[in-house]
Amino acid sequence: MLYDLRHADTRIKWLVTCLLATFGLSYVFGALMVSLYAGFTPRGVAATYRGREMSMAMPPETTMVLEHPMSVAEFAKPETHTVDTNLLIQDTHVHVPMYGVIAAALSLVVVGLSLERRRALGLITLLFAAPWLDFAGMWLTKFASPRFAIVTLVGGWAMGVGYLVVAALAVQQMWFSRERS
Amino acid sequence: MNMPMLLAAIAAVLHITPAVVLVKRPDAVQALLPGADAYFAREVHLSTPDAHRLHKAVDWSPEDGVVTFYVGRAGPAAVGALEFVRVDTPHGPIEVAVGFTPQGAVRGVLVTKATVEMKPWVLEAVGAGLTNHYRQLNPGDTPNGAASIAGRAGDLAKYVAGEVDKGVARALAAYEAFYRESA
Repeated sequence: MLYDLRHADTRIKWLVTCLLATFGLSYVFGALMVSLYAGFTPRGVAATYRGREMSMAMPPETTMVLEHPMSVAEFAKPETHTVDTNLLIQDTHVHVPMYGVIAAALSLVVVGLSLERRRALGLITLLFAAPWLDFAGMWLTKFASPRFAIVTLVGGWAMGVGYLVVAALAVQQMWFSRERS
Repeated sequence: MNMPMLLAAIAAVLHITPAVVLVKRPDAVQALLPGADAYFAREVHLSTPDAHRLHKAVDWSPEDGVVTFYVGRAGPAAVGALEFVRVDTPHGPIEVAVGFTPQGAVRGVLVTKATVEMKPWVLEAVGAGLTNHYRQLNPGDTPNGAASIAGRAGDLAKYVAGEVDKGVARALAAYEAFYRESA
């Protein structure tokens, strides 16, 4: 095949390396941001997307008032960052196209690697499936069951794993392979 | 520009920046319920007709259909009530804390959260005296902080002041409709 990163012009190799480094940086800060808001546990993700546990499944027939005492310390407790339906619609609208572009860029790198066709297809599928799982988990957690928080976590980790595999293979084949030109 | 680059540019332009805390909640509580030594969270779970009425009045559906008033007391005396209201904007959410006196007038307003992008706009608007405009407003009044800072702040600060106006209007409408001094 004409497109082979091992034998590509150095400028192309450098471009791909810079792209991977930039994605890597954004993934590191993406992970930090997740740790600040939703966390990496099913419970934390469920609390973020499911909303407050005290909320009623259906609106009451007449408006109801519940009151409970609070201490000042409770105001200082870290708030659970919640994502309601409107914000989830906005997040999905904004993030999914971007994730698609990132998956496409990483897939273009995969196509240029020396990999068995089956493995390349699997890797490309992983790159696109990961964000789908991420967002499917958020929606299912909100509307089906908090148990689906695990799907979001699997999707998030799959994005990280997909990136690391592509980056490691690309760097190895472009700069350290014996067959490179 | 090819399609992937175009999509990337659009996504970058639309990306919502992370939220930052401008005033911590305990600080907002102490500023807006001064002297209180006991606090209560009063959660008003709205019926469908009441939720519809509120939405029609101020274009707002509170999260999970619940409006929460934080009530402060000093011994037996009421100090007032406080609401935290979120306003979703195309640039991400902001949060506005609106404190009321026991008589029902606005004691003060603080912008407690904004996105990284909007933070400088909020600071400019507040620096131009935005929050002074809301003091002593009563339920039924229409907040117009954006107009009050015209000429003293830039367009983006005026824009964000309009979003703060929405938050204050929502707090006033909820207070008028659902807050009673004794629950």
